[in-house]
Amino acid sequence: MDLKELRRQRRSRFMGSMIPYAGYVIRSGVAMVLLLVLIAFSAWYTALLRDTPADLPIRWIMLVLLLPAAVHSSFRTYLRSPDTIFLLPQGHRMKEYFAPAWVSGNVWKILRLAFILITLWPLYIRTDAAHGSLLLTALVLIAVKLLSSYGLWRETAMLSRPAAAGYQLLRWAVGGLMIAAWLWQPPLRALIFIVILSAAYFAALRVPNRHAVPWERLIATEKNQGTRALMMLGWFVDVPGREQRVYARRYLSRWGGGIAWRRDSAYRFLLTKSFARGDVFGIVLRIAVLGMLLVLWNRSSYAGTGIYLFFLFITGIQLSALRKLHSESFWLTVYPLPAGSRADSTTQFIFRTLLVLVLVLGWPFLLTLGERPLPAAGSLLCGALLAFFFKMYMQRKAADPDDDDL
Amino acid sequence: MNSAPVLQITGLSGGYSLNKPVLHDIGLQVKPGEMVGLIGLNGAGKSTTMKHILGLMSPHKGEITVQGKTRSSDPEGYHSALTFVPESPLLYEEMTVREHVEFTARAYGVERSDYETRSLQLAALFNMEDKMDTLSSHLSKGMKQKVMIMCAFVARPALYVIDEPFLGLDPLGIRSLLDFMLELKQSGASILLSSHILSTIENYCDRFIVLHRGKVIAQGTLAEMTEAAGLRGLNLEQLFYELVQGGK
Repeated sequence: MDLKELRRQRRSRFMGSMIPYAGYVIRSGVAMVLLLVLIAFSAWYTALLRDTPADLPIRWIMLVLLLPAAVHSSFRTYLRSPDTIFLLPQGHRMKEYFAPAWVSGNVWKILRLAFILITLWPLYIRTDAAHGSLLLTALVLIAVKLLSSYGLWRETAMLSRPAAAGYQLLRWAVGGLMIAAWLWQPPLRALIFIVILSAAYFAALRVPNRHAVPWERLIATEKNQGTRALMMLGWFVDVPGREQRVYARRYLSRWGGGIAWRRDSAYRFLLTKSFARGDVFGIVLRIAVLGMLLVLWNRSSYAGTGIYLFFLFITGIQLSALRKLHSESFWLTVYPLPAGSRADSTTQFIFRTLLVLVLVLGWPFLLTLGERPLPAAGSLLCGALLAFFFKMYMQRKAADPDDDDL
Repeated sequence: MNSAPVLQITGLSGGYSLNKPVLHDIGLQVKPGEMVGLIGLNGAGKSTTMKHILGLMSPHKGEITVQGKTRSSDPEGYHSALTFVPESPLLYEEMTVREHVEFTARAYGVERSDYETRSLQLAALFNMEDKMDTLSSHLSKGMKQKVMIMCAFVARPALYVIDEPFLGLDPLGIRSLLDFMLELKQSGASILLSSHILSTIENYCDRFIVLHRGKVIAQGTLAEMTEAAGLRGLNLEQLFYELVQGGK
C-alpha cells in the first residue's frame, strides 16, 4: 500500500470538495467587506508608518502578534474512523503517511509567519533603534515554529491527556520566552538562551509515555480541522452537513434552563445548548474581548467607532453561522416542532445576542458621553442598527433559503 | 375502547427510486393497545417502511395515516402522535442526557411536571441516574441507545415506532425495555417493533407482520400465521424460516 499516495488522494478529494464553493466565496458580500477592511487597514497602517508614535511598545506588539503565528500548529492527516481497522496493520509505516502532513502544515504556517513578520518589520525598524536583522529574526521564528510543530506532534501522541495539556502550556511558554529573548536581548546572548531552552524542551518531551500512532486522537483532531474549514467556508456560503466542535463548558450548563416551556421555543432550547457548547461561542467571545479592548483604547476618536462597527459586523457573521446548525438534523424532521419555529428561534437568538454585544463592545463610549455626546450616542445607535440589519437579513434568508447574498 | 387503528398503511409502494420501488403494495395496521412485530431479513424493507411512516420518505403510491391524520394534511398533528427509536442512536453531541429528554418533552408539548416525573422514572428504570448530566458523546453505545428510548418514552404519544431496540442494550436494559413496553401497551399505546431476536418478541408481540422482498407475505397472530401456512405448532423462528426460505 502506497501510504503517501493515499494521503495525496484524500487531500485532493478534500480540496476538490471545496472548489465548487470558490465562486460563491468570491461573489459573496462578506468577501467584499473583508477586502474593503483590508484596504482601510492598509491606509491606516501607511499613515501610522509615516507618523509613528515615539512611545509605541513595539517589542510587545511584535511578541503579541508573532507568538501565536509561531507557536500555533496543526496538521491535516485526513484520517477517518475506518482507518482504525483498515490502516491499523500499517501502523509501523505510518511515518510515510504523516510526513507530507507535517511538511505541508509547516510550509503554510511559515508563510503566514513570514507575512506577519514582513508586515510588522517596517514599523519595527522605525521605532526600535536596537532592531536585529530581518533574516536572522526570520530564522529564529522559523526555528520556534518547527520546534512548536514537533512539540504539538509529541503532545498528540501522549497517553495522558492532562500531561498533554501541561505540555501545551509549556510549548507556548517556551515559544514566548524564545521570541522575547530575541527581541529584548543582544543576538548572541539570545541565541545561547534559545539553544539551551530548546535542548531542555526536547528533553522534557521525551519523558511522557506515548502511543506509537495515536489513532483516535488524530481522527478526532482531523474531524475538528475539517469542521473548522467548513465553518470558515460557511461565513460565505451555505455548507450542508456542517458539524461543530463541542466543549463541555460546565459553567454554562444552566444556560437555556429558563427558556419558556412551550413547543415553539423547543428549538431555542436546542440552539442555546448548541451555542453554549459549540465553537461559535468561543470565537465570538474572543472577538468580543479583543474588540472591547480596542474600542476602549480608541473610544475618543472616530477610529473607535469604525473598530466598534467592524467587530460587531464580524461577530454578526460568526453568529449567522448558527442558521446552518442542525440543518440536516434527523430529529428536527421527526419531532412535531411548530412550522417556522426553527427559523424564528434562530433569528431571535442571533438578534438578541447581537444586541448584548452592542452593549458589551460599546460600553467604553459611555465613558466619553460627557465630552463627545453625539459621536458616543451615534456609535451605539449605529451598532443597534447593524443588529437590526442582521435581523432583516436573516428574515430574508428564512423566507428565501436559496438567496446567498449578504 | 376505540378500536380504530392508530397506524393504518394502505397500498404503500415506495423506495429511493421511482423506477425501483423497494416496497410493494404494503398494507398493515396497528390498533390501540397493540404491539406488532415487523420481521424480515436484512433488506426486506422494514427500515424503509419505518422511514415512510416517519415522513422521511414519500410514498410512490398508497396512504399512511396516524390517528386518522396524514402527514400532508396535518404535519404537526401527525408527528405529535408518534415517536421513534432508531436502530443506531442519533444524539446531539452538544447536549447531556437530561437535556435530550427535556428537548423531546418540550418538542412534544409534555407538561413540565409530567416531564420531571417521567424523566426521574426513566432514569431509574434504565440505570441512568448518574449519567443524566453527561454529554452524549461521552456515553457508550448501549447508553446512547437508552437515551433514545428515554426520549421516546418521555413523550407518551399514541404510536411508538421502534427499530431494533435491543442492539447494544445489556440484559437488564432489555428486560426493562420489554417490561416498560408492556406497561405502555396496557395503558393503550400502540407499538410497531422491528427486531431480529424472534424468540424474545414472540412472547411480547400480539401480532406479527412478515416482510419479504418488500412485500407482506404473512401477518396475524402466531397461531393465525401457522394455521394459514399449514404449519401448526411451529414457534416464530421456525415459521419465519419456513416462510422466507421455503423450508430449504
